[in-house]
Parts: sequence; structure tokens; C-alpha cells
Amino acid sequence: MTPLELSDIQAYLFKDYKEMGSSKYYLLQIKNARAAKEFLASIADDITHANASVNETSINIGFTSKGLIALGYNNEENMHSFSREFREGMVSAHRQRLLGDFDSSDPSKWQWGGPNNEQIDIMLMVFGKNESVAENYFHRLKQKFEPGLSVVHILDGRPLPKDREHFGFRDGISQPVIKGSNTTPAGNNDDINAGEFVLGYKNEYDVYPDAPLLKVAQGNSRLLPNNPGGYEDNSGKPFKDIGRNGTYFVLRQLEQNVNGYWSFIKKQTIDTNGNPNNQEATKIAAKMMGRWPSGAPLVLDPDKDPGGDSDENSFSYRSKDPEGEKCPFGSHIRRMNPRDQFEESPESVSLKLTRRHRIIRRVRSYGEDFIGSAENHKPNGEVGLLFGCFNANISKQFEFIQYTWANSPKFKRLYDDPDPIIGVRECPATGVKQNFTIPQSTVNRVIPNMQSFVTVKGGAYFFFPSVSAIKFLSTI
Amino acid sequence: MVDMIKQHPLIILSPVKKDMLETLDKRLHVIREKLQGGTETEFKKVPTLHYGRFVILNRDSFRDEPTVPVGTRLIFSTNFDGDKENHLTELVTHLEKYIDDIYECCEDYPEAGSRTTESRKTYLKKYSIKTSAFFNGAPGRSVQQIHKEASLRDHIWSYINKNKWNGTTTAVEIHRAIRNEIDSKSEFEWSKQKAEVQGIKWLNLIAYGLLLIAALPLVIIGALYLFLFHELWNKKQTLTLSQLDDRKVNKLKEVEDLFPQNQFTQVAVLKPNFIRRLNFQIWMLRTRVLANNVFVHGKLLNIPTIHFARWVLFDKNRHVLFFSNFDGNWQQYLGDFIDQSGWGLTGIFSNTVNFPKTKFMITGGAYDEEHFLAWSRSTQVPTQVWYCPYPHLSIKNINNNTKIRNELRMDLNEEQAKAFLKRF
Repeated sequence: MTPLELSDIQAYLFKDYKEMGSSKYYLLQIKNARAAKEFLASIADDITHANASVNETSINIGFTSKGLIALGYNNEENMHSFSREFREGMVSAHRQRLLGDFDSSDPSKWQWGGPNNEQIDIMLMVFGKNESVAENYFHRLKQKFEPGLSVVHILDGRPLPKDREHFGFRDGISQPVIKGSNTTPAGNNDDINAGEFVLGYKNEYDVYPDAPLLKVAQGNSRLLPNNPGGYEDNSGKPFKDIGRNGTYFVLRQLEQNVNGYWSFIKKQTIDTNGNPNNQEATKIAAKMMGRWPSGAPLVLDPDKDPGGDSDENSFSYRSKDPEGEKCPFGSHIRRMNPRDQFEESPESVSLKLTRRHRIIRRVRSYGEDFIGSAENHKPNGEVGLLFGCFNANISKQFEFIQYTWANSPKFKRLYDDPDPIIGVRECPATGVKQNFTIPQSTVNRVIPNMQSFVTVKGGAYFFFPSVSAIKFLSTI
Repeated sequence: MVDMIKQHPLIILSPVKKDMLETLDKRLHVIREKLQGGTETEFKKVPTLHYGRFVILNRDSFRDEPTVPVGTRLIFSTNFDGDKENHLTELVTHLEKYIDDIYECCEDYPEAGSRTTESRKTYLKKYSIKTSAFFNGAPGRSVQQIHKEASLRDHIWSYINKNKWNGTTTAVEIHRAIRNEIDSKSEFEWSKQKAEVQGIKWLNLIAYGLLLIAALPLVIIGALYLFLFHELWNKKQTLTLSQLDDRKVNKLKEVEDLFPQNQFTQVAVLKPNFIRRLNFQIWMLRTRVLANNVFVHGKLLNIPTIHFARWVLFDKNRHVLFFSNFDGNWQQYLGDFIDQSGWGLTGIFSNTVNFPKTKFMITGGAYDEEHFLAWSRSTQVPTQVWYCPYPHLSIKNINNNTKIRNELRMDLNEEQAKAFLKRF
């Protein structure tokens, strides 16, 4: 196994920065390419890499495909060697169908990243121990970038309050560990080959992921390594690799309708006197999620929430819950990580296939620090998640998970069940049912007419280059 | 027990009149728009039609240099129930307007004055070609049966969910209550007859296995020969997905993921030597044996999402078409092929030019993920018209529905009755 060149990889891929009180994503547009490149050159050594020690602040940076072109990386052949998903961006007619961004989530209604919004070229991610530290740091950076870049939109994120998202569930428990990094191995199926998350290393198919190569000379290419895949030009010279030690970052702003969510679930529990049952509602919500609010997995605690905070992640489905009576097949976590029960495949095949469709999640909350529950579900103003994830192949990982596992109602043996949290369409086509099935020992319980409580408000795909590629980009 | 109706492949390959290509393209486009908008009403008039597709195949459809000259041709393919004569009659009568409009653009189609059911059929038969290997995900299930069994399942589903079942009611009692409910509805009278389901044909399989063992020395010599004289000399493929022509890929994507099911049409050129062509034929034979005898429960090479698939050798056995109708999308489908059955695909398609390099037809090939995906996408051909009569049923749903129908009539014990109820 090739050891990872950690000093060349941006740190956010490895570190969640939960200890940082403030995470601000500045979406920038290039006004003057030369000045923008000067800015990149001036901050390249300050970019927080995975070996850097972090005190009060940290910065990472990502580029959209339009941003790379605006910066001057505009040779068609060079751009064309980036993955198609990244080049096209999050908004296209076909991608809208894949991601299910319709109705209120239609990109034409987005606040940023949509066809009616200003172009986004660069995302500067500034993390600070607290709000004012982050702000101060940003203002120092701003003085440097102002000649070349302007701020289009600011996403103001914070770590999830008590690690819980706004519906009230402990989040971010299951996370892949990149092999070859200095993180402690998980010792289970979460240990994943680096090439699933970092370009230039072998992935779970034991091949190098499709990576952007410098096909036509541009800038100071000596700053870039040769590609490891053996791709060479006609004279037998290996192409330089702008992708190595870089990755792709997916960002989506997801508004959560907490009140709608809990009201809908409570309505399912109304007794003959018209009163909802909060305990029962919490159980249904847990069935939809696959974990209790505390994070405890239903497979291990099927009957009630043991309470406290749980990071329990060593469980599997095949032997403990083959029929989904504890954790429904349709539940969010069983779809997002099918573990040892991928469709009808045998155990070893399931584990292997699951490893080929993982993402590293980087989630921030925005709006009020609000943790919803059956008792308390009315936050002040808009709340939601800044959902982010890293993957080396957007099509095989993020888009596959969203389409095949979340949006498709045919997951496993189901007929009409999209993912209850992120897969339900607001206005389904005529005749299309949307249910949630809770397997029970005799008759399954079905919750019909599921509703959507998550709305996409913006999104984009970013290239998250290595430190050396950032330096290289400043020389083009 | 009702007799099983077998499903068959039909494929018609006819030369397109040079000056009519544009007209043909436009006419097909009109049909496609209607299908995508949900306003197409003609295809479903053909009771025996499962899937139908029209594809224009010309020199540009081939990624690699064809080894025999190719003109512009129209492919019309269907998967149908029962008798071919009957199916053709249905096509030319129920789809008369489509058939005339489309085939007017092709060489040799009867002139307007001389078009009759018979002359139209004669034309279609004249240009129909043989399918080399054919897979059916739900053998014996006719279109009518698929629709009827789906309505049975939906009715039972609603019945179960409408009733408040007392916590003490057993699964056996519920099973019986469901049967009584269905018995009280005359529209489900047909469900009293058990549906015949094809099982794995062990005898044939054993015979095939014995044959394979007997031929083992030949197989080993063949594999060695292929390795030393062919595989070693094959060029390493370097094309990746990002490198493919954007216009071509976008044309394919334009018609993808409009429904929960998708189609895949592919054309490849066999390597231009005898041993490769022979090897391809051997793999077709193997695929036929397995598809007819083993892959009869809805999984092709372990892939649980394929409704129908076929391989068609044509152009004097120098070129091959592959068609598939499947649940889910392209990335999932091709991923499944690598994950579940890379060996099968590698065995078959390593005999086509510019397939990712293989070793003993086992390693490399489809397992070379990046280059295999690029090979698949770049040999794919846009499908002009694609019809499916049950776009909202997965192949797993279809097979599950038949089991529901049959288990409804069985006397089940408590465990079995619970398993029955899990089907909903």
C-alpha cells in the first residue's frame, strides 16, 4: 500500500474540525485572473494540509470547473481530463433527474450555484476556533484576495450542536477511514483504499481512479508529479498529474423543515381521541433513520433509545436483522451503508460492494442551534445542513448513493419506498406512490404518502487540489 | 396449472434509404417525445409486446473500424410472448401506422398500394436476423400476466393496510383472510390457477458440466493458445470516461433516467481472426446454456436487475450487438456487471477489438474498472425509441408478484405465512 503524502493533501479530507466553533465557506468569483493567481501563490503555504498542526484557524480551498477556466486553466484538452461530473457541475438536465432536484429544490430556485445565481469560481473554507477568530482571519485574507476575487455568497456553518442534526439525530457516526493515513484504522469494513477518496492512489477496484492530467504543457509543470497510471504522450513521456493528492468535494445546502417532519410523524400516531403519542412518534422517526436520536443503532437497540450519546458503529445486518424487523430496509442508514447485506449478495461480496460506494461526510449546520424532537419542533427561522462529502469519483459515489440507494424506490425488495429522509419527491408524478414500510413480525406497517422535509437551496461540485497543484495553478 | 407462455427475441435489421434518413430520424423522434411525455398510446395495443426499441445504426455508431462495410440500417427489436407469426401479425395490424411511416424510409418496403398484413409481415420476416443468446428475467411471464399479477399484489397490499389487524391474529389467519378477500372478487378468478415457474434444469446443467470436463484439455490448450498468441499482443487500453466525446455521451444521457428502468444498446467489432470468432461462439453457447437452464430466477450472472438482454451476431458474424432492459441507471448497471460477473463479460467481449487487455480471459478486462467503463460507454449507441409496458415494476417486483400469486393458494404454516406477508 502506498503511504499517503499527507503534507500535500488538504486537511479537511481527514479532519472534521468539530472543535472549530465556526466554519465559513466563502464562495468567490474571479474578477482578475492574474491577481487571483497572486493570491493563490501567497496563501499556498498557509493551506492547512493533513500534517499541519492546527491551532486557532485553518483554511482549505476548492475550485469549480468554471473557476479553473476563469483562472486560466482553459486548455480544452487539459480541462477535458477532469471527470465529466465535475466539468458539468451539479446543474444539468440529466443530473437533475439523478439527484431528484425538482419542485422547491429545482436549481432555478437555488440561492447559490443555480442557473439564476452568480457564477462561483472558488470556495475558500475558513475555520476558526470561534466566530470572531474566523472573521478576523477572513478579513486578513480578504485584503489579499480583493484585487482578484469578490465574494458572491457566504455560507455560515457551525459544528452540529451536540453532534445532532436539526431533526434531532446524532449524526456523522459512520465514517470511512482512509487506508494509509495516520488515522487509527476502524478495524472493520470502514477501512477503505485511499483511491476512493484521494486521486492518484488505487481504489477498491485496485485501479487508479480517472484523474485529471496535464495533457498540454501549461504553467510550471515541474511542481506536479507524474501520473501513477502510466499514461504517456506520443513520445513516451508520462503526463503530469494535477489530480494526485487532490479529490472532489460535493456541497449541498439542505434546508430542513423540522416542524413539518415531526408534525407529519406525530400525525401517524394520533389515537381515537385525536392525541399524538410522542414516544411512538420517536420510534417511527427512529425507524426512518435506522438509529435513535442518541445515535444508538436499531439493530442493537430495537425497542427503545438507551439514551445518552452513542457512537456505536460495529454492527451488521445479515445475522442480527435479516428481515428488517429491527432496522427497516427502507431506513436511511441501511440504504446509505448496506454493510453485509447489499441486495441479495453473499456477505463477503456485500462488504466489498459497499466499500465501493462510500463517501466521507463533512457536515455543518446553519440557522439556530436547534435540536428537534417530538416534544419540541419549532425552530426560529430557517435551519438546515451544509452537506458536504469527499469522493474520488462523483458518479460512482455521491451520485450513485443519491440515485440508486436514496431516490430509487426499488431498493432491495421494496416497491414504492424512496429514502424517507432524502429521497422523497415533493410532487411525485401522477400515480406514483411514496411509502415507508416498517417490517413487522406478521403484517408490515406502512406509512403512505410520505412527504419531503428537505429542500435543496444550493449546491456545487468542487475540485479540491493538492497543495502542489494549488502552487501550480498560481503559475498558469 | 396454466401453460407457460415463452418469451422470444425478435430483431429486424433493414437498410435505410439514403435520402430518407433525416425523415426517419424525425419520425422516430416524434414517437420518442410522446413516450417520454407519457402520451404515446399505440405500443400498448400490442398485447404480446414486452419491450420494443428502434435504433439507427450507421458507420458512426461503430467506435471501431467495422470489418465488413456497413451502410445505414434500422434496428427494430422486440421481446414478445408466444408465437412469432402471431406477434408479427399484431405488430403490423396494431402498429400499422408506425410500421408504414418508419419502413417507408427503408429499402424494399412494399409500395403504398401493395401493403397488406401479409406483405408487411413478409418484409419484416425477410429482414429479421437471429439472436445469438437471450436472457429473460421472468421466464414464462407474459405481459398480461405481469399486469394481472401486479394488480393482484396491489389489491392485497391495500387490503392488508386498510384492515386493523388485532395483535393476536396469526399470519396463517391473515393469509386465509386475504385468500377469502381475493376469492370474493371475480376479477381475480384467474389467480386460482397456479402460475408455472421455470426451475433450474439440473439434468441439462450436469450434461453441460460433463461436457465441459470432457473438453477440459481442449479448453486449457485453447486458453493457452489465446494467451500466447493473442492476449499478450493486445494493446493496453488507456481511454477513460472523462476522455469520451461530450456530445456523444450527452446524447446517451438525454434519454436516460427518465423512468426507473433504462435501456442499453451497444455495438462492437469482433477481433478479425478465426480463433477469436470461434471463442466468441463458444461463449455464446455457454451463455445460451446458462440463460436457458440456470439464470431462470431473475438474475443474469447474479445481476438482479435485468428484464431482458440479448447478444446478436450479425454482418457475417463479424459484428455484435448487445441489448439490455434493466432497473436503475447506467452507473449501477455497469458497476453490477463488474462486481457480480466481470468474468462473463470479459469472456465474451474480450473477443472484440479494443476491449481492455485480459489475461487468460480471467483478469483485466471488465475488472480494469476505469477502462472497462470507458469501453462500455464509447461502444454504446443512442436508442431512438424505447418502449416498456411496465416501467414502474422492477424485475424483482415481477418475480415477487408471481410468488405472491402462487403462495396465496398454498396451505402455509405460520413461518411460511409470515414469509408470505413479508412480500408486501
